[in-house]
Amino acid sequence: MSLALQVLVTGLAAGGIYGLIAVGYSVIYRLTGIVHFAYGELVSLGVFATLLIAAGTGPVTQKTAETGRFVVALVLGLAICIAAGVGSYLFAVQPYLSRGSTVGWVAAIVAVAFAIHAMLAAIFTRPSYVFPDPLPFRDLGHDGFVTLGGASLQIRSFFVIVFAIALALAARWALERTRFGRGLQAIAADAEGARIVGVPVDTLVALAFGLAGGLAAVAAIVAAPSGTVDVDTGALLGLKGLVAALVVRFGSPLKAMAAGLVLGVVEATIANAHIGTWELGPSYREVLPLVLVLLFVAVRPPLEAVEELE
Amino acid sequence: MTTIAERTGTALAEAAREARAAWRPWHVVAAVFLVLAALVPLAAPSWVHVDSLANGFYLALAATGLWITVGLAGMPSLGQGAFMAIGAFTVAVLTAKAGWPAFPATLVGVVAAGAAGILAGVGVVRLRPVFIAVTTWILTWTVTLFLLAFRSVSGGAQGIVVPSGLSVDGHYEVALALLVATIVVGASLARSGAGIELRAARQVPAAAAALGVATARRRLGAFVASAAIGGLAGGLAVQLAGVADAGEYGPYLSFRLLVAVLIGGVASALGPAAGVAGLALVTGAAGLLGAVEGVESARFDPMLAALLLLAVLALGGEGIVPLVRSLFPRPRPDFERRETPLAAPRRSPASARRAAPLLVAESLTKRFGNIVAADAVSLELAPGEVCALVGPNGSGKTTVLRLLAGVYRPDAGTVVFDGVDFADAPPRARARRGLVRTLQGSAAFGELTALENLIVGAGLRRVHGGGLRAALATPLARSEDAVTRDAAVAALSDVGLTWAADARAGELAGPEQRLLAVAAALATRPRALLLDEPSAGASLADVQRLDALLADLRERGVAVLLVEHNLRLVRAVADRVIVMAAGAVIAVGSPQAVSADPDVRTAYLGRAAL
Repeated sequence: MSLALQVLVTGLAAGGIYGLIAVGYSVIYRLTGIVHFAYGELVSLGVFATLLIAAGTGPVTQKTAETGRFVVALVLGLAICIAAGVGSYLFAVQPYLSRGSTVGWVAAIVAVAFAIHAMLAAIFTRPSYVFPDPLPFRDLGHDGFVTLGGASLQIRSFFVIVFAIALALAARWALERTRFGRGLQAIAADAEGARIVGVPVDTLVALAFGLAGGLAAVAAIVAAPSGTVDVDTGALLGLKGLVAALVVRFGSPLKAMAAGLVLGVVEATIANAHIGTWELGPSYREVLPLVLVLLFVAVRPPLEAVEELE
Repeated sequence: MTTIAERTGTALAEAAREARAAWRPWHVVAAVFLVLAALVPLAAPSWVHVDSLANGFYLALAATGLWITVGLAGMPSLGQGAFMAIGAFTVAVLTAKAGWPAFPATLVGVVAAGAAGILAGVGVVRLRPVFIAVTTWILTWTVTLFLLAFRSVSGGAQGIVVPSGLSVDGHYEVALALLVATIVVGASLARSGAGIELRAARQVPAAAAALGVATARRRLGAFVASAAIGGLAGGLAVQLAGVADAGEYGPYLSFRLLVAVLIGGVASALGPAAGVAGLALVTGAAGLLGAVEGVESARFDPMLAALLLLAVLALGGEGIVPLVRSLFPRPRPDFERRETPLAAPRRSPASARRAAPLLVAESLTKRFGNIVAADAVSLELAPGEVCALVGPNGSGKTTVLRLLAGVYRPDAGTVVFDGVDFADAPPRARARRGLVRTLQGSAAFGELTALENLIVGAGLRRVHGGGLRAALATPLARSEDAVTRDAAVAALSDVGLTWAADARAGELAGPEQRLLAVAAALATRPRALLLDEPSAGASLADVQRLDALLADLRERGVAVLLVEHNLRLVRAVADRVIVMAAGAVIAVGSPQAVSADPDVRTAYLGRAAL
């Protein structure tokens, strides 16, 4: 029972982050029909740009979080991610969309991913880094932990779950209730039509990429303090988010969030599950969900993923 | 009736003659260059690293394999690194842990990668390009994470020490030979019927499907070939390296291989090798930069490779090989538009023919949501009859053609062709039986030559047209190539476009492209043709040419169902007119009778006269 609760909470907390990233993938796909392969690296960029501004490349402690410089670093990290989001659209996506070349933008956006990754890897050379928590969860409960039904749970986890779901709800609200969001929905339905009736398509799409970049930074700041981070963290989170988004066919923010949460719980379950005496264990945690999703796409491809022969 | 043996013999003699005729001075240069390259290990100065060169050749081999999927089939695969990994670790585990000799282990590695290619390919080939990229990307991550997680397979951070069956020089020669052979086979595949079909399906998938191209099967073949070649390259490269390290076969390798294909140029089988050479220069530059900055050079390598690709793409470049080719321009054949004299249409009154109907459709119904696009449509089509299907926009004409061709499943109703019930027959099966459709709009394959467009159609009649046979240019495949080509040439002359045989279809005028699409359908030797607005945008002269063509088809006994807005053409050629409105047939009869029908005049034409 206590194990089940533990699995559920840690799974949902990890899944909330996957969900946020899946929301980013989905919104971008709906708008432009592209899959932002560099999205995970934007998360990495959010983490490491903030660290760089807060404390250089040296070690960071929780004390750093109490300085004014850290607040500045958070704001600048967010700004850098927004700029990188817009930049990835202007330089790696837009030119190839007009040429109608899929292999062109795929290669370009993956190139952006590896360029960001290589840059971060060249600057941050230690195997792992600590990201200080902007919010003082450490001071709550027993050193940040609370005991519920026999399970020792990180208080942060609850915050992450609530925050992620709230952000997904906010994204839905923004898409459905604001003028900006309705413009985006018009573009998603019919970009040419939207252009003709006077929707500033290019500006709105660039803005949406910026917001998606901002979302990546927020996901980074929420996720990073829960454990140590390294330069590959973002790529892995990006992969999980992509898998979640793929399962719900890059659907609405709430669907993407739900898929992320489910993926998180599935991973946590696999990591702790044993069938009889045979333990699945953490080795299967990463691989098994990927295999299942690939099988799912192969056996029952979503209708819109199948090439139309008409 | 010639036997297969005779045909093989003739084809071999033919091949030898062709090879002599096709010999060009640059072949001598290439041959000399190859011999020199093969001699490098014997006489290399000490600063030449033979092992690095051999490793580069193996990478180029994997990239050339990937080119079959990306360049020919147009599938943006981000998964080639996964297949290299499967080959490499199969060989590593078999040789280091099970004690197998290198050669059988390598073969098993190729088979394992090919089998993985079949598994992945079955799921992937039906998908749109975006989703192919996503799923292959997830695939390459899956293999990497698997290897990192399961140390019993991958040896963990230390990797597995792999014994090699060959010396470094041996690897160099093997790698060079395999690379050259793969490039030659790849180039031959691109020119073969199978390769032309892959390129056609890449450009206009729907038009290729309408001509009966087995797109999914062709693409699966290409994907599996890429995977197997990747497995071969991985299995050999790991023996050369002496250690299998899971970290080396990640998504980054997949990306590098795709980059090699793109910067080398997707249009040529030589491109990937040139791309790998380009990337090697980048690695060299990264080493220099690293030395200057005092940092490990590997850290700069991905960044420079990424920037190089972005630069090539941003400049709109087609890659290294096309760039080099453009420095040595070949004289382009001059295409002079020639009007083929029109044969006077031979007419015989439609009433003279009383043949049994070839195509019979009964109460075909198709609904999309609340809209009834086809409402209990029944029609018959006899050999040697030209029947026009007319009606206002949205009246369901194209839907009927799609139902007949098997693109849509009807909600109710039957299609019987030549006495065979077509209820479950997919478009390709219908096309093979002789029911072929053309698409609305220009459905010619713009990047293929006019003749190649027709070879796609004529390829429907092939028996020995498999991709493997084509790639190896077996005598049977070659003899059949010749037959196919003759059929294509004949069909091209039927529509008076012989002068354009070697022109890219995209360079022809719109109406000529539409005529070409009709000719490609003709090249399949159909017994019934379903033509969707072949005259759109055509000038008077073009319409006359179409008119003559249709009359000729009638003489040959082909049944034609023609969706057409040009009423002048309808009146001139149609034996019978079927009028549709709002999904239903409202009138059938001769052009004169139909145009006199008051219902037709109000429902379709308003008050204007036909």
